Amino acid sequence: MIGTTGLDERPRDPELGGPVPYVCEDDDGRGSLRVLSKKRVIQCALSRICAVCGETLDHPLVLLGTREELDRMEFHVPPVHEACGEAVSAAVVGAPFGVLGQDGPVERWVLVSTGGFEHERPQRFDPDRRPRFRPNKLLSTREV
Amino acid sequence: MAIADVKEYTHLTAEEVEQLGAELDALRTEIEESRNSKDADYIYKMIRLQRGLATAARITLGVSAYHRRTRLPGAVVGGAMLGVAKILENMEIGHNVMHGQWDWMNDPEVHSSNWEWDTAQPAEQWKHSHNYVHHQFTNVLGYDNDIGYGILRMAREQKWHPVNLGQPLYNAALATLFQWGVALHDLDLEAIRKGEKDPKVMKKQLKQIWQKGRRQAVKDYVVYPALSGPHFMTTVYANAAANVTRNLWSYVIIFCGHFPDGAMHFTEEQIEDETRPEWYLRQMLGSANFEGSEMLHVLSGNLGYQVEHHLFPDLPSNRYGEISVRVRQLCEKYKLPYTTGPLHQQYGQALRTIIKLSLPNRFTSGDREDVMEGQMEVARGRKSAEELGSRRPETGKYAAAAS
Ligand SMILES: [Zn+2]
Repeated sequence: MIGTTGLDERPRDPELGGPVPYVCEDDDGRGSLRVLSKKRVIQCALSRICAVCGETLDHPLVLLGTREELDRMEFHVPPVHEACGEAVSAAVVGAPFGVLGQDGPVERWVLVSTGGFEHERPQRFDPDRRPRFRPNKLLSTREV
Repeated sequence: MAIADVKEYTHLTAEEVEQLGAELDALRTEIEESRNSKDADYIYKMIRLQRGLATAARITLGVSAYHRRTRLPGAVVGGAMLGVAKILENMEIGHNVMHGQWDWMNDPEVHSSNWEWDTAQPAEQWKHSHNYVHHQFTNVLGYDNDIGYGILRMAREQKWHPVNLGQPLYNAALATLFQWGVALHDLDLEAIRKGEKDPKVMKKQLKQIWQKGRRQAVKDYVVYPALSGPHFMTTVYANAAANVTRNLWSYVIIFCGHFPDGAMHFTEEQIEDETRPEWYLRQMLGSANFEGSEMLHVLSGNLGYQVEHHLFPDLPSNRYGEISVRVRQLCEKYKLPYTTGPLHQQYGQALRTIIKLSLPNRFTSGDREDVMEGQMEVARGRKSAEELGSRRPETGKYAAAAS
């Protein structure tokens, strides 16, 4: 359980205007759509709360990521509510810099729905030392 | 001391640790790829069985109360069936569904997002205190609040306090009232006592606990007893007996998971920069299994395979038995301890620890010579969200960018 309730209580990103997801915030309250807090990413994934609003997830789960992440079936943002995913994607589409932990601007964003997901902990020699999430029952995919 | 210095596996080279991790990864992939309709049949059968038992219990209690000759046997049989139904619901169904073990079936009803279990703690708070805090920081002193549930001193590294003298009593109370102890678990009473709890979060949590606890109490102590009409109290007693039975059973099973001799505790320094194989090793060395019949395993939610559950918390519980054969082989191959024994022995060891650690270390002997009281004094309670954040800096460049 987190301090804010629902999407409306999330702080606004000063650069992009959209809601700052719970996973994009540090515990001191500073947050930005540009970054991901690894600690909160793990917390959301394991306690099965929405990575944006911090409330219990619903069914099906929705993953927000890039086309490349979908091709690899490895997402970096843990599951979200559909409405939360849409609100964040509306803010990040077309951003001229890297957002949600991406190194640079993203051309194509996707929202996928899935029954469940697998949590991949990073390996010692992984160039990418962040946790990843692999849908294990892909239901739908759409570009945003 | 880093986790790589834990003496139980200092005989392994870094390459062997990586190799062990790769073998465990392969085992996990094998199970993930072989999940099928037989597994789904298993959980649906379990849910039907549990609901059948609960319905039969409620009807037996309601109807038998009206006749003098059936009242007492009805209360005993109905209460027993209800106790078993609650045990099945909490252990084999609720705990495992809320881990997401059955999410791959894509059934909205049998899903980690939607399951609300038959106990006082709200599912949402359980998923935080258990799935996240306990499974991520397993047996790390000062982090994992399941070590003694914030009430009992369970590790020799923990500082002794005169209050600990009462441990045998607190333990008995915790066991009897277990569902209510668990209900308060995610509140983190130690943080509230220290004034470190976010008042907004506390208010939301208290409201949720109050609503769930009231619903549970009304169900078992008002609505169902009302079906017994003038013999209301007979059903109240039977329902209370069912709840206490479930409390005692789940307490015993949970205490057998990490407190028998051989299950190790860790310190925060040991988990910094932990790799995936090291995470596996901490889960293996910090958990303890127990042996028994298939029925015993079902009634304990397959938590007799605690080692396997901690290695792979999201794999379906009905597969832990077959996984355990392979994990045990790996432990033999890599000369690692695999802690197991009969249930009574494992619980006996946990109980002995509770009693022994009610006294300062100098009055008792430890199973590990390298641990001295005060050598690593660890505060009670768990770390606040802020402390957890600053202590786990492996957030890579993204965390660095945020600060
Ligand atoms: Zn949300």
